[in-house]
Amino acid sequence: MRESFHRELESLDHEIVRMGALVEQSTQMATTALIECDKELAQKVRDGDDEIDAVFLDIEKRSLTLLAQQAPVAGDLRLIVAILRVVNDLERSGDLAYNIAKLAQLEDFCQPELKAVRSLVAELGHAAAKLMGAAIDAWAAKDDQMAAGIALQDDVLDNLHAKLIERLVDLRGEESLASAIRLAMVGRYLERIGDHAVNLSERVRYFVTGDEEHLG
Amino acid sequence: MSPETLPVDANSERTGVTPLAAVAARDDSEISQGLAEKPVFAVRDLSVHYGKSIALKGVTMDIRPRRITAIIGPSGCGKSTLIRCFNRMNELIPGAQVSGEILYHGEDIYASGVDPVVVRRHIGMVFQRPNPFPKSIYDNVAFGAKINGYRGDMDELVERSLRRAALWDEVKGKLKKSALDLSGGQQQRLCIARAIAVEPDVILMDEPASALDPIATTRIEDLMQELKQEYSIIIVTHNMQQAARVSDETAFLYTEVDAETSARWGILVEFGDTGQIFTKPRDKRTEDYVSGRFG
Repeated sequence: MRESFHRELESLDHEIVRMGALVEQSTQMATTALIECDKELAQKVRDGDDEIDAVFLDIEKRSLTLLAQQAPVAGDLRLIVAILRVVNDLERSGDLAYNIAKLAQLEDFCQPELKAVRSLVAELGHAAAKLMGAAIDAWAAKDDQMAAGIALQDDVLDNLHAKLIERLVDLRGEESLASAIRLAMVGRYLERIGDHAVNLSERVRYFVTGDEEHLG
Repeated sequence: MSPETLPVDANSERTGVTPLAAVAARDDSEISQGLAEKPVFAVRDLSVHYGKSIALKGVTMDIRPRRITAIIGPSGCGKSTLIRCFNRMNELIPGAQVSGEILYHGEDIYASGVDPVVVRRHIGMVFQRPNPFPKSIYDNVAFGAKINGYRGDMDELVERSLRRAALWDEVKGKLKKSALDLSGGQQQRLCIARAIAVEPDVILMDEPASALDPIATTRIEDLMQELKQEYSIIIVTHNMQQAARVSDETAFLYTEVDAETSARWGILVEFGDTGQIFTKPRDKRTEDYVSGRFG
């Protein structure tokens, strides 16, 4: 019997869900800070990244300890492998939300001519946070069917991102150029968060099915 | 493999039975030519009774040549009973009855007329506790060959067997010393050398490292990897990590219990590639056992 080992594994599993919730929240908050020009909220996102990083380090360290000391196999092994992969996706997503918050502090995107663009960024940010939330729900439920739907939802995010770039290309005036470049970066960050959510859903499918095709 | 052809039994009722040695030798050459890989053992619906109680029920599996096959499972699931079927060791237990078939290179080793002594010459065994004879190191290795009337160069055979068992360098200067003076790990490798000296085709190992320290265990495990180049190995082990480390294929046995009579017997739950068994077992009972959720 390996009760303490399984308790620790369960605790790590829950920590992933907690970390995912933090990332989902950061993504939503960073987007809001940007479109509402709320520098204080942006600072909260930046401060919050320390907690995400701390959870990342803690999960990674504890997972390595379990690998070294408990020699996990079968479903336990797949879960730890999935945790070690997912924790990177979440940490990177946290960094991307941090970058958005940093841009929100650096520049005011509240000019009237950016109104339509802001609305697209809001939509994109909301979709990215929602996708991350859905991926975390699939993780918590260990539901490969739920996870399989995430990649399809990511198409919505990709389309919004493409639309945002089109809109930014259409902007005229020298003043808007720097803003357009920065907002293109924001769009890219949010689109990348969506990709990390898709990665996360792939890990869920690997854990549940054991099929290596979902390892990539 | 010995090229000699051994008679099965002078009183054999069966006709046209190919003697075991010839069968084994034939398959050996086929394997070396890279022809279709046939199983060393084809086990078909094997059951074992001890008196009226059943110990093992309906096992069907193929043991592939030049592989290490591990048999794992909780205590009392029939692991040792199963491995002892492969060289008819169970017959030494009064009341033991074997039904079903074990085909060794296509020949039923339980067919009437097959001499169990011949079977055991082809299918050697190493036990849990090293059991060297109270004789010299040299005599331990030469023992089986002498009994079999070996006419070749005995010194050469002893050296070759000790080298294969990765023991030569440690004992070459003291071959006439008592085997009982060796350490436990050395004694176990001596037993492996003794088994190898009669040129078997298969080596059965019943928890060969469970009485050894970790370093001696590692040496036995390394040795198994060397030996599988020439022999097919079947190992029973309680140590799941050992099964995961050393074996190519793993059989998981489990105990079934009759709710009414409380009778217990072993069944084969899952048999497959060791990587698969330890990463994505198909059966929930295998998953629970290998991940330590019971047993």
